[in-house]
Amino acid sequence: MSEPFEDRSRELFLESVDNVDMRVRSRLTQARHAALEAAAASTGRTWFARLGVWTPAAGVTAAALLGAALWLGLPGAHQGGPGSDGQPSFEDLDIVASSDESSGDALEMLQNDIEFYDYADNVANAGPAA
Amino acid sequence: MPRFDTLRTAWMVWDVPAPALRGEVLDQSRELENFLADIERRAFRMAEIALRDPDDAMDVVQDAMLKLARHYAAKPSAEWRPLFYRILENGIRDLQRRRTVRKRFMAWLPGPKEDPDGEAQDPLDAVADGGPAITDILMQGQAMDRLEDGLRALPARQREAFMLRNFEGLDVADTARAMGCSEGSVKTHYSRAVHTLRGQLGEVW
Repeated sequence: MSEPFEDRSRELFLESVDNVDMRVRSRLTQARHAALEAAAASTGRTWFARLGVWTPAAGVTAAALLGAALWLGLPGAHQGGPGSDGQPSFEDLDIVASSDESSGDALEMLQNDIEFYDYADNVANAGPAA
Repeated sequence: MPRFDTLRTAWMVWDVPAPALRGEVLDQSRELENFLADIERRAFRMAEIALRDPDDAMDVVQDAMLKLARHYAAKPSAEWRPLFYRILENGIRDLQRRRTVRKRFMAWLPGPKEDPDGEAQDPLDAVADGGPAITDILMQGQAMDRLEDGLRALPARQREAFMLRNFEGLDVADTARAMGCSEGSVKTHYSRAVHTLRGQLGEVW
């Protein structure tokens, strides 16, 4: 149970809060909106991370799996691509899955190469060249 | 090419919240906005009392809002208040430390630094915007001024405990979380603060 002194202190404080001027209120509103935007940006970027699987190791593993899936999904890979002897080459997969610093982050590379995958998809859908 | 199509779809949704999560994100954003709107003015006043400067107070509150939103928005909302005040109190302490260092450094420099432009402050800046009658404001203002002076004279931990418990209404456990100390310490700090302030101001001043 609070004492009169504590009640009086709280009452005075809350009155002073009510008397905060409009300029300060406006700046606080702006600050709040900036914070909400930051939260939204952070959430949009990291919703995947909130699942608890987005560690660097998981990223590299995901990149490796994507690379393997792409390679297995391309008919060219089985029929032998340009310059290939018909045997599956693991060199491309090594590049995709590499976490070596000199080759850059594998996941980032995959993201940057999205146009390439689109192109590869078109080639795959078009079937073998006449 | 079903596997390829699946991969393309995976890429397309890569940077977009999954549908199930999208609604959750919106709810959370609304909840965070309500929380910040509820807390911001009290936080500002508490920072202003501690720092004696509205601009510095605004900076630390803004910073605390951003940090909470960026790093702790995904936490359960029940944890936001102690987290927010922990960030805020850390910001206040950092600023006070920087001021102390700056003051020591400035003591080495010669000459007065007051009002370099030779311009008086705009008196309109001090005028309140509407609200209660001016006499009430003056009386309440004087009482609050005395309370603020008393709070500023307290050791920092006692001031924090008093403001979080009494002004913000946090319970002992949340105050301990916000201050980063034990519940026993909170009780001790708070009790000493009340004792000192009551001695200075009387039961009802």
